[in-house]
Amino acid sequence: MVGAKEANLVERLESQAEHGGGGVWEYLCLVRKLKLRRSDKVLKYGLQILKDSKARSKLGGEEWTLYEQVAIAAMDCHCFSVAKDCVKSLQKKFPESLRVGRLEGMLLEATGSWEAAEKAYDRLLEDNPLDQVLLKRKASLAKSQGNTSASVEILNKYLEIFMADYDAWRELAELYVSQQMYKQAAFCYEELILCQPTVPLHHLAYAEVLYTMGGLENLQTAKKYYASTIDLTGGKNTRALFGICMCTVAINQVTKGRNKEEKDGSELQSLAAGVLVKEYKQKAPKNLAPLLTTTLKNMKLI
Amino acid sequence: MGVGFGVGVIGLLFLAHAAYATSQYRSVLKILEEEFSSPPMNVVIELFLGLAMCFWAAMAVSGDFLSIHPDSEDNRVVSLPGNLDFMTFNHRGRVLPYNQN
Repeated sequence: MVGAKEANLVERLESQAEHGGGGVWEYLCLVRKLKLRRSDKVLKYGLQILKDSKARSKLGGEEWTLYEQVAIAAMDCHCFSVAKDCVKSLQKKFPESLRVGRLEGMLLEATGSWEAAEKAYDRLLEDNPLDQVLLKRKASLAKSQGNTSASVEILNKYLEIFMADYDAWRELAELYVSQQMYKQAAFCYEELILCQPTVPLHHLAYAEVLYTMGGLENLQTAKKYYASTIDLTGGKNTRALFGICMCTVAINQVTKGRNKEEKDGSELQSLAAGVLVKEYKQKAPKNLAPLLTTTLKNMKLI
Repeated sequence: MGVGFGVGVIGLLFLAHAAYATSQYRSVLKILEEEFSSPPMNVVIELFLGLAMCFWAAMAVSGDFLSIHPDSEDNRVVSLPGNLDFMTFNHRGRVLPYNQN
């Protein structure tokens, strides 16, 4: 999870490194710890350290972690010569290592030799049939070939064994959403909310899937989950605020013409709209705030 | 921090002195052959004073309190990690070659 404080720290270290103010190693460590995908920056600064033999020797054993990090970043940037060099030096240091074997597989995957990569993963899996990262790699290998349904199948099998792996649940949910299988995606998000009940972004994603599915019951549940997102973020999540407004409008449309006593008596939507207007006045460019106000007025929220 | 630490040390000295004074008092009672019921009032006051100072120091020395609310400014989750186990390399980076600078 990336908290607001950590996000600020990353920003600060990044600009510091960009202006040559040092702190490069701290930045790389933080990126690794928070599992961020900033491959171009990692490649640039990581190579800086790796090229400088004095700085490299200062790291001690951490040097090899850096090699791995830079190798993956280089693959992500399609800088295969750098990636090959890193993997080669890792292989020299740790022959027979499973972790380096995985990196080799990933390198094959990155260069587009899918079959070779698959073979490499299968060979490694023979010795360690329950290696989680390898199994996940196989799922993403199918995904990067555009074969989403195969990826879903592999992930489903994986989750039967490792049910507590919330990263995998998240990936599966995203795959289902991309396939427009919202019912299944909603199930995955339910699992995620059970695993990590305090992460507002799972609540938000669940609400969005429910809103997309439509229907009165789903819309009402979606509204509740948008509300819980607001609760968990202290009202700082603009998307959830908009979600409340949209849900209210959709619910009103569905229930139009039915008995009117059932009308939602809460002030939730007008409060959300009020916060939105306030936030836009403070932060957005000047011409956006009146636009939002008229839109919300048309939706009869303020 | 400096003040808190000093107060803590003084509080500990108070406690030690109270203990010493009590044992002295007991030995005096033994000579007078009286029963020990409770330490004298001024020692009890010293004891509580020392205790209060130690409490205060324990709060002050260890630094500020951190928020435990999930919606506080420090703990608020702003983004999820980039699911790196499921990283795929078949993306638009392929046609946007990396610029060394």
